[in-house]
Amino acid sequence: MRKAVLLVSILALAGAASAQTFVWPQKWTVAKPSEVKRGGTLRAATISDFRTFNPFLTAEDDSVPDIISGDRGLVRRDPTTGDWIPYMAESWTISPNKLEITFKIRKGMKWSDGRPITADDWIMTWRIHTDKAVGSNSYDSFFIDGKPITLKKIDDYTIRFIYPKTDAEAFAVASFVPWPAHVFGPVYQRDGAEGIKKMWTLNEKPGNIVSGGPWLIESYRPGERLVLKRNPAFGEWNKDEAGNPLPYLDRYEIRIVKDVNAALAEFLAGNIDMFSPSTVDQISQIRQAIQQGRLDATIKLNASPVASSQFMVFNWNKASDPFKQSLFRSDKFRRAMSHLVNRQAVIDIVYGGFGTPMYTSVYPVLTQWINPKVPKYEYNPQQAAKLLAELGFTKKDREGYLVDSKGRRIEFNLATNAGNTQREQIAKLIVDEAKKVGVKVNFQAIDFNTLVGQLLSSGPDRPFDAIIIGLTGGGLDWPFGSNVVPCKGNLHMWNKSGQCLDPRETLLEKLYYQGRAELDFKKRVEIGYRMQEIEAELLPVIYIAGPNYHPAWNNRLGGEHPDAIISSIWGSREVELTFIKK
Amino acid sequence: MASYILKRILSLIPTFFGATFLAFLIIQMAPGDYLTQLELDPKVTPETIARLRAQFGLDRPFHEQYLLWMHNLLHLNLGYSFAYQAPVLEIVWPRVLNSMVLVVPSTILLFLIAVPVGVYGALRQYSLGDRVVSFLAYLGLAIPNFFLALILMYLVLQVYFRTGVMVFPVSGMTSSGFEQFSFWQKVVDVAWHAVLPIVVLTTSDIAGFSRIMRGQMLEALSQDYVRTARAKGLSERVVVYKHALRNAIIPIVANIGGILPTLISGAGLVEVVMAWPGITPLLLDAISQQDLYVVAGFLTMGLVLLMIGNLLSDLLLAWVDPRIRYE
Repeated sequence: MRKAVLLVSILALAGAASAQTFVWPQKWTVAKPSEVKRGGTLRAATISDFRTFNPFLTAEDDSVPDIISGDRGLVRRDPTTGDWIPYMAESWTISPNKLEITFKIRKGMKWSDGRPITADDWIMTWRIHTDKAVGSNSYDSFFIDGKPITLKKIDDYTIRFIYPKTDAEAFAVASFVPWPAHVFGPVYQRDGAEGIKKMWTLNEKPGNIVSGGPWLIESYRPGERLVLKRNPAFGEWNKDEAGNPLPYLDRYEIRIVKDVNAALAEFLAGNIDMFSPSTVDQISQIRQAIQQGRLDATIKLNASPVASSQFMVFNWNKASDPFKQSLFRSDKFRRAMSHLVNRQAVIDIVYGGFGTPMYTSVYPVLTQWINPKVPKYEYNPQQAAKLLAELGFTKKDREGYLVDSKGRRIEFNLATNAGNTQREQIAKLIVDEAKKVGVKVNFQAIDFNTLVGQLLSSGPDRPFDAIIIGLTGGGLDWPFGSNVVPCKGNLHMWNKSGQCLDPRETLLEKLYYQGRAELDFKKRVEIGYRMQEIEAELLPVIYIAGPNYHPAWNNRLGGEHPDAIISSIWGSREVELTFIKK
Repeated sequence: MASYILKRILSLIPTFFGATFLAFLIIQMAPGDYLTQLELDPKVTPETIARLRAQFGLDRPFHEQYLLWMHNLLHLNLGYSFAYQAPVLEIVWPRVLNSMVLVVPSTILLFLIAVPVGVYGALRQYSLGDRVVSFLAYLGLAIPNFFLALILMYLVLQVYFRTGVMVFPVSGMTSSGFEQFSFWQKVVDVAWHAVLPIVVLTTSDIAGFSRIMRGQMLEALSQDYVRTARAKGLSERVVVYKHALRNAIIPIVANIGGILPTLISGAGLVEVVMAWPGITPLLLDAISQQDLYVVAGFLTMGLVLLMIGNLLSDLLLAWVDPRIRYE
């Protein structure tokens, strides 16, 4: 795919060490190999307890399998460019029809129990993930539009991925983490999916968990603490530019702290090394502690926006109320509503000035993908009033709300999930602004599951008017959602009639599939730009704003990313390159 | 007596089925289920969600789910957690033990402090000491546990900032490097971590408990038999401790059985605020994720202990109060 990058990385590898070694580039950290100290413990905290050690059953973010494996496979991304580079693979070749990628697997890699890592491990991992009876969360990633991607072992160190159609996310599929076939294979053959489900529960002896990544489990205390220790087998083929084995740390301790205030208190007391404040209050407590010399730490304010979207969506399927339905289907109406969203006020009031406005479905942190020239219907109540007048809402009734010639009032219900105070505040801002121009918005905070049930209901008549919600989980290769853009998609939240209602929806769907199949990055970005222009015009959902990412860490840590690549996507550091200064 | 116990146990059976059915019903009545959260993930297809729902048995009608669960329950299998993909008991039990580290000492402390305080308040009614104790008791009653925990954490941090000494840990149950400690170091470490949460737990309970004790004692002291005892010329000591206190303490002793379920039900929000790996954070997670069988299984454990506890209370009552006879 991207030959130039491939060549450069192979050259870099050849220059630094033998082909068996993956050299972690100097540009990923601010520390030079000569400044680095070995040993020590990194102390982190996480908000939710771990659920399992089993990589085929895990469903949460930052699960134990993700952490011990480093969440990397044949290929990984270079945080400085976002490009895919060979990792557990040494190199790859792409077939002329672009439907097959053949990877040469790096030789000399070993599992923590000493067995070699070979093509069989990928094949077995793929088999188990795609067994329906196992119920793996990765199941869907091995299919493109319902057609399976297949893996073929050529020899012990060569593996081929065969795709049913060209796919921009081909490398993302190939980046899945392999697990030891010699551990899972025999059980799978003997007891099938049921056998796999019983393996590697939290009660498993840590010594029995085999890892191909940077960490081994040393101990786990339920609800309390996971302690990882360095996997020496990993350091044999992962080195820094001076040839030192990675990771530098001896241990990585993750405490489970369910309450954010408690985690903050531990960070302020110097008992945990990393914390990402999410509210103004937390930020100011950390800054105060630093300024008053009580805490020797670094905080990167507004390092980047977060990788999620937040929006207001109107329901196009309201057969029982034709007046509202025609209103919600009118792009003029939605434009007027966008003019009522005071994004700056949301940032100032809800996020204390630390937020980023949003205008399209692409998360603002994905700067390569953001089309800066899309039309923006910014906060402008006069313009909103004008648009509503064009729709026939010129008079006001006795209570001061706009009505049309038949005396019908513009009034709708707006809901969000109860307990999300930031979304509730956003909704209240919208209610106030709408009232000023004469639109009656009835706000209600409802239970999350009820809200999702309403949002994802389908058919000609759905039970809501408007909802404020957000999405996460988009990719870097093609940041549009396969469930969101196509008109039959489960998350095509504005219109779930099962068919496209606006010609622009049809066009977006067409462009979505075109972009997903386009392998040239530049061309894909162009398609993405075009899609965002249409989105901004059609406003199927009205994007609002989101908070920013502000990582903070204790200055006993070294080896963070250079400022340019500290973001909500790449985080503040590679744990492998992190070291303890004192 | 034996026939009474048998009768009681028989009457517990319908209670058990009714209560478990209600618990199951209420959890199921909440909108959505364990997989609703997954539906908002742009990468997961509706077919996958439907498949998982079938695997978890969540697509079956309510009564089938209940009967299946009951069937398992009668085979002493509390069910299977969706989130942990493991048997409920396996997940819940270590957390219950952690909670007991707080609950048992705080319950013992409660009796050791609240009973004397209550008696003192009754004997020196409206004295300065009684007023001070009453004031503190009401204060303890008025401050919610989690808030008191936050205040204590704040104070510990302030002391640390000013002196550099960590008097007590801010949160958690063990120190970093716990696994390498010797046995006695481990005991000391856990005890050191438990001090603040136990203080928080005990203060709020002392308030209510000592008020009850004080009221009971006052009532006993105003009875005719106390006057009679004094008229007989018994020493004040004997009057107070042998006649009044023995009667006043009956309802409290009788309630000891009721403590049984509280022993496993955890220390409440203190555990969340102070990152104590007890049962409360686990249960809150399970409720918010609708991890059905963890919630239902835990409620059942509590229910069984409550029933046993009530039975024990009644028996204890007969034992301490000669006026009560079960025939």
